[in-house]
Amino acid sequence: MELTREIYWNVGHGLTTLVPMYLLTLVAVALLLHGFRARVKVYRQGKTAPRTDQLAVRIPAMLKSVLLQSKVARVKGPGLAHALFFGGFFLLFLGTCLIVVQADFTDLLFGVKFLKGNFYLLFSVVLDIAGLVAIVMLGGLLVRRYLVRPAGLESGADDLIMHGLLFAILISGFVIEGARMAVTELGTSLALWSPVGLVFAKGLAGYSEETLRAVHSYTWWCHLLLVMAFIVAIPFTKFKHIFTTSLNYLFADIGPTGKLVSLDLEDEEAESFGASTITDLTWKDIFDTDACTQCKRCQDRCPAHNTEKPLSPMKLINQLGDVAFNNPEAGLVEACDKDAIWSCTTCRACQDICPAAIEHVNKIVDMRRNLVLMEGEFPGEEVMVAMENTEVNGNPLGIGYASRGDWAENLGIKTLAEDPQVDILYFVGCYASFDKRNIKIATAFIKLCQAAGIKVGILGKEEKCCGEPMRKMGNEYLYQTLAAENVELIKGYGVKQIVTSCPHCFNTLNKDYRDFDFDIPVTNYSVYLQQLLQSGQLKLNSAEFACTYHDSCYLGRHNDLYDAPRQLLEAAGGQIVEMNKSRSEAFCCSAGGGRIMAEESLGSRINVKRVEMAVATGAPTLVSNCPFCLTMFEDGVKGADVEDRLSARDISEILVERL
Amino acid sequence: MKILVCIKQVPDMESKFKIADDATWYDSKDLAWRMNEYDEYAVEQAVQLRTQVEDSDLTVLCIGPQRVQETMKKALAMGCDRGVHIDDDNSFQKDPFEIASMIAEFAKDKSFDMIFTGMQSQDRGSAQVGLMAGEMLSLPSISTVVDFTFEDGKVTAKRELEGGIKAKVSCSAPALVTCQLGLNTPRYPTLPNIMKAKRKELLTLSVADLLKVDSTQETTKIYFPEKRSGGLVLEGAAGDLADKLIQILKENTGVLA
Repeated sequence: MELTREIYWNVGHGLTTLVPMYLLTLVAVALLLHGFRARVKVYRQGKTAPRTDQLAVRIPAMLKSVLLQSKVARVKGPGLAHALFFGGFFLLFLGTCLIVVQADFTDLLFGVKFLKGNFYLLFSVVLDIAGLVAIVMLGGLLVRRYLVRPAGLESGADDLIMHGLLFAILISGFVIEGARMAVTELGTSLALWSPVGLVFAKGLAGYSEETLRAVHSYTWWCHLLLVMAFIVAIPFTKFKHIFTTSLNYLFADIGPTGKLVSLDLEDEEAESFGASTITDLTWKDIFDTDACTQCKRCQDRCPAHNTEKPLSPMKLINQLGDVAFNNPEAGLVEACDKDAIWSCTTCRACQDICPAAIEHVNKIVDMRRNLVLMEGEFPGEEVMVAMENTEVNGNPLGIGYASRGDWAENLGIKTLAEDPQVDILYFVGCYASFDKRNIKIATAFIKLCQAAGIKVGILGKEEKCCGEPMRKMGNEYLYQTLAAENVELIKGYGVKQIVTSCPHCFNTLNKDYRDFDFDIPVTNYSVYLQQLLQSGQLKLNSAEFACTYHDSCYLGRHNDLYDAPRQLLEAAGGQIVEMNKSRSEAFCCSAGGGRIMAEESLGSRINVKRVEMAVATGAPTLVSNCPFCLTMFEDGVKGADVEDRLSARDISEILVERL
Repeated sequence: MKILVCIKQVPDMESKFKIADDATWYDSKDLAWRMNEYDEYAVEQAVQLRTQVEDSDLTVLCIGPQRVQETMKKALAMGCDRGVHIDDDNSFQKDPFEIASMIAEFAKDKSFDMIFTGMQSQDRGSAQVGLMAGEMLSLPSISTVVDFTFEDGKVTAKRELEGGIKAKVSCSAPALVTCQLGLNTPRYPTLPNIMKAKRKELLTLSVADLLKVDSTQETTKIYFPEKRSGGLVLEGAAGDLADKLIQILKENTGVLA
């Protein structure tokens, strides 16, 4: 017996089959294109954005994310189920393509058949199992969506249509196979290579050949119509994510991670700055809204959402999408809600986990830019005061600029104005310069460098805020003013290497300042100290202690630095008990996004929630790597009333005790 | 309607103040400069009035060295139409009478309908300049204003008195008011207005053209108050703090005897 099957068995391969089939396909594809053409028009309302450059980087990244489902599968459970379902459905799609290629091209035109022999057996068994996996995974997802239903998962007509269509397509496919096998394969060894089809065939075995042929033919056409319905439904339902999400991987931000686009503030033509209407966003921003599948992973991780604030990154993206598609004249700020826009800490938890590569943070900052630059609005008067303080004294705390370097008196270091010949410039930042608690970080860092024989210089009263909190709060003008001043100053001293102890300074100098013709290497202190430790320049007397470690958003998700700080702690004798949310899943301290300048008046307190997570580890010390985090945790430890159980410390403080 | 608002540039009060060598004023080294807080209320109120009354023109006037133009730019960005800078490197040596007379000299032939000033400056704090300028211009002056309305040429203002009492005062324009904390929340300039401010007219006048009077008073000395016995801040856990306090009370007082 030849190891193959007759393609178009029973339905025939004549014009009465092919003409209606291809006509239907043509119509379906035409409707699909028509649906997307209308959507493309909506995307094109946005401004230009360079997202089709560097295709050598973009295309492999897209293929990895689509074919391996690498982003989707990051969340076990539903993510894995989706990945497996995708795998199954994709194989079935490929299998169908192979059939079309053989039956309607190679065989028809050249008499070449390749679906035979061992390849056919493989083809048959793989597709059977793919179909089974797809059905089982789809069933699992159905149970999750409609029976278990995790909090926040919202279902609409789209979801019902999608589940219904997919189930119908998969089951009808097996019915067709079963009916065919019941007539042609039952009792042969070939049938064993279609194990799922065999089950269906055995179920149908009692009927006459005539009935089976009628069932087969009827189901075949139904199956075809269902597939056509599926194709047509793509642009009009959440099915569109098959294309939009996949393409969004192609258009994804390829870095540097989280870097905002600098506004051209000198643009005489610009009538407005930041985003107030949909045309102020880029086409990619609008495309993002179409790539969202409402999986709510962003919302699950958003520190604002988790503390009863009115922000859900998912809803915000959907609201922007609603404006783009249904109400393009509407104001974005009104559509998204001002309180939601101000609540973001730019922690990047949403963007990092998003399986659709959606960029939430830049949209929020763009809307903030409009509020600040065009309306002079802030989340509270205290933020405006902090901005004015920064304008006058170069720090949001409002302390006289001339005392910025006072913390370093008696430490034996000089400012670059006094002596520019140094190994590194330590860019101290506002909190480590002025805040009593955080000055301990600066002092510890200097002592560690001195112990390693490094000559450190600071800018002293010449240093100004890096501008990060102001920028994230939307004040691009103030940020650019500060950046330009710092860049000119630092370049003027011929600095070779900069080290920061604040991740916000680090991120800003190392990424954002690059737009200002600034190419001096910038290193975070944890990495720098780790290098000194590895090279043997820095020696620590290890002494055991238990702690938990908090990944600051700007060292972690924004810069992917998870290991250096942990290695330092371990070298110091630290036994790290990880919190449930750590590394890329770490929960923000509440101070990012310029929120360090703002009162947290909505919902419960983010820092208290994070402190409680630290307490749950049982470790007596919460170690962080950021002055903002330390400030928030000192406060959170009091807020959670756990002062007797947990103390908040910076890595540098731990290390300096072990010199 | 023609409106004038007079502002002063003062050091940020968080600065490290040092007495200058001649001990009649503070040393201007290492100071950060900003608009006098009360003048910010004056500018805000003037800008609001300018918006309220059609075809208004708002002039901001400032006396001081070149650096005050930075502060004037903020007033222009907040909404003033034009600036007049009386360039004077030694304005800090001038007494309130001289400053007021310069303002009056500038304003006398300009027929301003309203003049706004701060209640006082944060550095000298004489609280005289606005009122004297009003007097020199023969205008009714209302001081310490915390609420301001203007309707049909009539000013109605609330003044803040001691003990939380408010007084409602009204007069006809032209008039001068000096502005107090609580009058309004000064706006944060928008970017387009900051950009526009750079191109607004900023006229510089010399002191010689406007100063027609001699000083009437002299600052002979400024100094930090003598240090009395300072306060003591105890830090630590509550139990230890109590012990320390008892110790101090025992050693230094007779209350526990």
